[in-house]
Amino acid sequence: MEEPLLEIRGLAKRFGKRSGRELAPWIIQDLTFSVSEGEFLTVIGPSGAGKTTLLNIIAQIDVASGGEVRFQSQSAPIDDLKALQPGLACRIGYVTQDDHLLPWRTTLQNVLFPLTVQGRLNAETRTRAEMLIRTVGLGGFENHYPHELSGGMRKRAALIRTLVYNPPVILMDEPFGALDAQTRTQLQEDLLRLWNLGKKTIIFVTHDIAEAIALGDRTLVLSRQPSHVAGKHAITIPRPRDVRGIMTHPEFGALYQRIRAQLQ
Amino acid sequence: MTTLGKRSTIGRSDLWHRIATSLRACGDQILVLVVLVAIWQVLSMTLGSYWVGSPWGVATRFVAGIGDGTLLHQASYTVIEAAAGFVLGALPAVALPFALRRLPIATAILDPFMVGGYGAPKLALAPLFILWFGIGIESKIVLVAVTVFFIVYFSAQAGIRALDAGLVRMAQVMGATERHVARHIVFPGAVPYVFAGLRLAMPYAIGGAIIAELISANRGLGYLIQLGAMNFDTTGIFVALVATICIVFIVNWSVNAVERRLLRWRPVSDVTLQAGT
Repeated sequence: MEEPLLEIRGLAKRFGKRSGRELAPWIIQDLTFSVSEGEFLTVIGPSGAGKTTLLNIIAQIDVASGGEVRFQSQSAPIDDLKALQPGLACRIGYVTQDDHLLPWRTTLQNVLFPLTVQGRLNAETRTRAEMLIRTVGLGGFENHYPHELSGGMRKRAALIRTLVYNPPVILMDEPFGALDAQTRTQLQEDLLRLWNLGKKTIIFVTHDIAEAIALGDRTLVLSRQPSHVAGKHAITIPRPRDVRGIMTHPEFGALYQRIRAQLQ
Repeated sequence: MTTLGKRSTIGRSDLWHRIATSLRACGDQILVLVVLVAIWQVLSMTLGSYWVGSPWGVATRFVAGIGDGTLLHQASYTVIEAAAGFVLGALPAVALPFALRRLPIATAILDPFMVGGYGAPKLALAPLFILWFGIGIESKIVLVAVTVFFIVYFSAQAGIRALDAGLVRMAQVMGATERHVARHIVFPGAVPYVFAGLRLAMPYAIGGAIIAELISANRGLGYLIQLGAMNFDTTGIFVALVATICIVFIVNWSVNAVERRLLRWRPVSDVTLQAGT
């Protein structure tokens, strides 16, 4: 069997102790799972289960306290902040919970930002950026500043800012969490369409069971803190999926019940 | 989609609204000016124009001073001193916090000295600077530079401390180097703070130049004030004061214009909106 793209074994994390206090509690303990190339993995867990911390560790903007994190057979540093390599040389893209658009850059400038810093801004990549902007319905808003965009538009801009430089893996941390149901469904459809175009590896964190089922090939359920894997579910609902009608699919009900039971 | 609609309809009515509010504000400002001049006139009449130069006398002398070039000539010295000192003080005040950004220990070592320098009454240093640098333009420039430096330094530092770590991490994940972070995130993020500092320091620069001139000089608006006082010429003093206020107005207006252009990306703040109505 070929080696998985990302392998996490016995991962443990706790934050540094503060003076005058005993050791901080474990956030993550003995967490083990792997992700294969091209897979859409959804991760669900109660709040405080260390979902964001997990993504931060994978993206190498935070260190693990123990265990092993291997990406393309390369181990991430353990407990050594200075050895971190954020984004692993642009191989891992990260769409955070907050959009983190640069407020002094327009939509287009924000989308072009990664290309600018990677020195890859040319006619071809620029065309791709403009194409992506139109694909997610931001055409006409290229020269608007983030504060002039709605919440949903900002999320879309943040999403395509990561897609534009084509990282093989994308981490997404509840990217649609704060949106209304209508916009959220729209963005979920956009995401699935974009994923179908490029078949990237996506790790998508959510607290919404229906979203986890609608999007993923597989759903990982995390336990309460200290978190470990409480269950794995293959989502066999065939693609292309109808995000709006996913609840009426015959397999949905049973899956939903099983996942919810593990979330308790 | 809704935002697009809102923008296109706002365009014209917004412009009209802005013109109307600015006209109204202008009218109110003229009213306040009239009241102030009236109080001034009353004071001048009750105390005598010997003690308080009359508004009319000041206005005629002001216009005459501009007409024969003497006022502009004297004011130009003050402006040059203030401008040179401003640049000399502001540049290192902006550059230093940037240079110290990655050196927390150096920042911590410097901090008490900076706080001390900020707190020390700079005007009390004026006699010392005059001793060191003479009664020429140099002592004024140094005084202005020292005054401006500490104000701008702390604003720039506040701007760098207000940096959103999330933005930096995001940029690093996308492959940004330390230089990219400094140029594309730290610097633009600090610009509003730097401008707040520059705006705050600007009247201090002109005031500092005038105070230094008051103590010892043979030209400049401060010299005019000193001369007026020695000759019991209150009108002359008032003319110099009016000239000073005019300079502050013009400079402040220019700072606002530059700031508006550089900070187009910022949402119009609630405070500004309230100020318009």
